[in-house]
Amino acid sequence: MRRAWPLLLVVAVAVTLRLARAADPRRIVLVDELARPSLRHPLGCGDGGVDLLAVATEALLRGLLLALVVAAFSLVLGTTLGAAAGLRGGVAARALTRLCDGLQAFPSFVLALALVAAVPRPSRLHVAVVLALTAWAPFARLALAELRVIRGLAYVEAARALGAPPLQVLLRHAIPAALPTARAQLGSTASALLVSDAALAFLGLGPADGVSLGALVDQGVGTLVRAPHVLMVGAGALTLAAVTVQALADRRGV
Amino acid sequence: MGGRSTLGRLAAQLATGLVVVLVVATVVFFAFRLLPGDPTLVVLGEQATLAERAALRARLHLDDPLLTQYLRFLAGLLHGQAGASLRTPSRDAISVVVESLPDTARLAGVSVGFGSILGVGAGLVSVASTHGFARRLAERCIVLGASVPLLAFAPVVTWALSVRLRWVPLPADPDAGLRGLLFAGLLLGLPLGAAVGRMARATLLEARESPFLRVARAKGRSRAAIWLVHALPTCAGPLVTVLAAQLGALLGGAVVLERLLERRGLGTVLVDALAARDLPVLQACVLVSATFFVVVQALGVQLHAAIDPRAR
Repeated sequence: MRRAWPLLLVVAVAVTLRLARAADPRRIVLVDELARPSLRHPLGCGDGGVDLLAVATEALLRGLLLALVVAAFSLVLGTTLGAAAGLRGGVAARALTRLCDGLQAFPSFVLALALVAAVPRPSRLHVAVVLALTAWAPFARLALAELRVIRGLAYVEAARALGAPPLQVLLRHAIPAALPTARAQLGSTASALLVSDAALAFLGLGPADGVSLGALVDQGVGTLVRAPHVLMVGAGALTLAAVTVQALADRRGV
Repeated sequence: MGGRSTLGRLAAQLATGLVVVLVVATVVFFAFRLLPGDPTLVVLGEQATLAERAALRARLHLDDPLLTQYLRFLAGLLHGQAGASLRTPSRDAISVVVESLPDTARLAGVSVGFGSILGVGAGLVSVASTHGFARRLAERCIVLGASVPLLAFAPVVTWALSVRLRWVPLPADPDAGLRGLLFAGLLLGLPLGAAVGRMARATLLEARESPFLRVARAKGRSRAAIWLVHALPTCAGPLVTVLAAQLGALLGGAVVLERLLERRGLGTVLVDALAARDLPVLQACVLVSATFFVVVQALGVQLHAAIDPRAR
């Protein structure tokens, strides 16, 4: 696998810290409001005295979970659609290419914002679905490009000539050929999803209990003058998450 | 695709774009009406009385058959209207959105300017500089700009430069003026610059090996001339493509930045509509963004073809 170890390391550390920490990220202890980092609260406290280490680790894990799940789903959906259309060729392939090109540069964040806002109490599932609406496009595009190359290759023709049913050709040959480039795209897409989710939360459309990377940054911005450490924790956690997920896409040594 | 006139291609692209906008409008329309939850509850809140909700339903024609509503919606669009804003019922949603466009357009323009210059510059240094240190630094900057999210570095930089050092105006400062615009544009331009830088680096690396550069070198041109006059223009076409591709992300970033620095613009309209659950305005935002995006994409492709004959 490409550079997966930073992500695994971060997840392992976050899970350990979260479990080891008795503090509940939702627990309000007013006397600790915006306390600076100390031995009792290694990262300090935020609004309402919530322990920032607990909030940061849980928010990090939640963000990573959503981003990776939606990215994985988009990979499966997009690669399958792209491989199927690429295998058929002709109108189907051209139409899908056009659609993907349009979707990829589309202001999908604005669309996601509007759609999530239309729901009275947006849940994580709503956010995930809305983000997935456009996330599959890059994968389909890559699969289409890959298929254009291998369609003419001997082994595909041979499989067809031997009378293999189209579904088998798709599953056995087309999709596996498209997977390597799709894996590279996974890191970029997951990173973008993580940031979009955080941006939605920053604007107020995150989880109701406020434990999310975006909400943490929002809190930090609100207490910028009085307690800058809150922002540093939020921005740091968000950057750490984004960078480690992005590393999934990088080749070793590049 | 060869042989079609420029005008013909542009027309075809705009036609496809129109279809995209129509599809988006339809998706948003049906999403707002078919999503779980009563829209009147969303707008008026859970405490609304039955009478208030009934009144809102009547005003929004929510009890009409879906098809009738859809047709009315489409007819309204032809007149450039998307229904009255719920917060300011005297004004149509689209005019509320369009009014905010100039501010966001200015911000976007400044960002594109900064992003292009910084990106191409970094790309050039990372390929052409004689100092290994400069090359590696430029490359690291490009990677950094692409990995660190805007949402993370913008508040921190704002804190450092605005709150601590007072070099730039504070957020929500009404007299922010040009300094404020330049600062906001610079922040927004950095991620864009990273994408441009990556493209510039790839294009220039390719150009370095190309025959026409070798000819220039053989002719004894100076290093500066080779890179600036001969190699750099190859980036022009791809630059247009990258900018068009990054437009969606730029708009998303503008929404976040306008909320962060409390500047007027499309982002603020969107966030206010969000808070008030002003569905017609939200719908209008999506429509206007989609239309704008489609037009810019079409123009971008034509511009690219005009600049770089190889792309035709």
